[in-house]
Amino acid sequence: MSILVSAESRIMVQGITGRRGRFHALQMLKAGSPIVGGISPGKGGGWCSEGSLPVFDTVRDCVEATNADVSVIFVPPHSTADAILESIDSGVKTIISITGSIPLQDMMIVKSALRNSNSILVGPNSPGVLLPGIASIGIFPHDIAIQGNISVVSRSGTLCYEVVNTLKQEGIGISTAVGLGDDPIIGIDFLTCLELFEADPHTDQIVLIGGPGGDSELKAATYIMEKMTKPVIAYLVGENLATSILRPFFSRSGSLSLEALGSKTDALKDAGVRMAGKLSDIPALIKR
Amino acid sequence: MKLQEYQAKSILKKAGIPLPVSNLATNAVQAKRIAAEIGYPVVLKAQTLEPGRGRAGGVRIIQNQHEIENISNEIFKLVLNQHPIQFILVEKALSFLKEYYLAIISDLDAGTPVLRLSEAGGATNLEPESFKDALIVDQPIDINAGLRDYQIRGLMTRLGIDPSLWKQFQLIAHKVYDVYRKYDATLVEINSLVLTQQNQLFALDAKINVDAQSLFRQESLYDSFDPSYFGWEEHQALKYDVDYHSFPGEIGCMVNGMGLAYLTLDQLIALNTMPAAMIDIHGGATSTSIASSLEMLLLNPRVKVIVINIFGGMTRCDEAADGLLQALGEGLPKKPIFIRLEGTNDDSGLERLYKNGNLTFFGTTDAIVNAAVGWLRGDEQ
Repeated sequence: MSILVSAESRIMVQGITGRRGRFHALQMLKAGSPIVGGISPGKGGGWCSEGSLPVFDTVRDCVEATNADVSVIFVPPHSTADAILESIDSGVKTIISITGSIPLQDMMIVKSALRNSNSILVGPNSPGVLLPGIASIGIFPHDIAIQGNISVVSRSGTLCYEVVNTLKQEGIGISTAVGLGDDPIIGIDFLTCLELFEADPHTDQIVLIGGPGGDSELKAATYIMEKMTKPVIAYLVGENLATSILRPFFSRSGSLSLEALGSKTDALKDAGVRMAGKLSDIPALIKR
Repeated sequence: MKLQEYQAKSILKKAGIPLPVSNLATNAVQAKRIAAEIGYPVVLKAQTLEPGRGRAGGVRIIQNQHEIENISNEIFKLVLNQHPIQFILVEKALSFLKEYYLAIISDLDAGTPVLRLSEAGGATNLEPESFKDALIVDQPIDINAGLRDYQIRGLMTRLGIDPSLWKQFQLIAHKVYDVYRKYDATLVEINSLVLTQQNQLFALDAKINVDAQSLFRQESLYDSFDPSYFGWEEHQALKYDVDYHSFPGEIGCMVNGMGLAYLTLDQLIALNTMPAAMIDIHGGATSTSIASSLEMLLLNPRVKVIVINIFGGMTRCDEAADGLLQALGEGLPKKPIFIRLEGTNDDSGLERLYKNGNLTFFGTTDAIVNAAVGWLRGDEQ
């Protein structure tokens, strides 16, 4: 039916009384998501989301009272590492950090803790996990996708919206859409996500949205080549940058990275992936 | 954010890493006086964040007082990628036997710091071609365990460094790692680390890049950001927590998220156009940061037309609309504004904007980019 979360998940929201947490907890509930409670240190014992969700001081309290096994994080960036570590420490299976722009070394500490745990982290700076018709975990815009058998994995949140929305226009439905997150250091990568999709009976084909920076697409290409049986379509954004006239102006540009995508494109093509030249090419590449 | 060499060196010096004596000059007369105090020969080093300093003649060895003023003036006349040189670091020139490279870098895929050591250090080896064949060894560090002595020894034995030097290397590696941790750096690099005839190691050049997301807890660095280097837009961007990128074109872009930034850039380049500026407001931007981003685009004289491409998840379209209207109501220059506003609360956001006559609306990234480029070309003809 889905990966990472499902209709049977029991989801808690860390930072549920903050401006963003409060708003999106309500949106998630309206989308039918199985939210069971929220965390807000110092506000335990209260209720929120129009009185429908109990608030706890700690993740452990929430897990003990509600059997929550998924956490969605909306706390501010400087306390996000703490929130993730608290969930890891309480044995939460799937942790999804919507908050982004986490201090780099905080994320290194989190990655080290993850290696010694059974928790899976999606994000930071993830839009969440979308199961159209079942649940919307995170901040996906309302009603941008329909239910189906195509799964989408994207590093960027906004591009993930673009893709599922483009597919919706063509009447193509989604099984699971996962935003891995825009931050420099993230939890699960393309490879892990593809492994989960390969094992998911409700995913027939996969759309992968990558871009400049890192080697995550290359590892994915190796896995697709060696192990994957399901068809993969890929779209790499930033294709024009490396050869472009903009080249001299990237030396100062902080987070945008200028990197030849050629090797990633070649590796994916060699693995039998159908490459989309632009966003609007994706629907035609899906096998009907 | 990159620190200037002199700022990086001042941090390393405070940490106890051996450096040649140096001082900063803002004009040729000062350079001469500093050199007299330090003693010749000295190296004059143009302070810049731009690459290609050596090739441009920004690093010069001076043997005596007769040539120092002329050469200083030559360096002060250099302009690297539109940035004039404002400071020269005057440094004692050391003669040395060997150059090493030592750095703590950040492996983003693995999410760990890495100690990197190489026998091929030095300005002459900076070219990627000559660096390519050199032996470079890496040791990932578990940030929760810290850098351990055995890890440094492991690298040194692989490079064949003489055991008589191990203590010095270990001391420097630990201190460089401490600086990396203490200042939330993404890179601390000594290139080169030289070995003198007296068998002592000195850091000749230093680079420190600091994580912009950690600045809130690095107050001591606030003053380190060179005000002459970063412009008004960069300061605004830092203040309102948006990413600002300057390009030489005429289209001012505001997007939410790096993916949408790349997509918009891709489409502009496909049409042979360049943006003037790309502002990434990130997810969940407030109306204030959106208002100030639009203000930056309206006030930028190179921006002829504005593209606002927002697909809101955490970014609420109603808040975005409020921010845009706030900036538009302030009597700033009027420019054509093309908007694509979709996602969370888009109905109420669009309703607020429809009342403003300066705005034109589009449904996709393709459509808005085509329209803006079309408008620009029509305007030029």
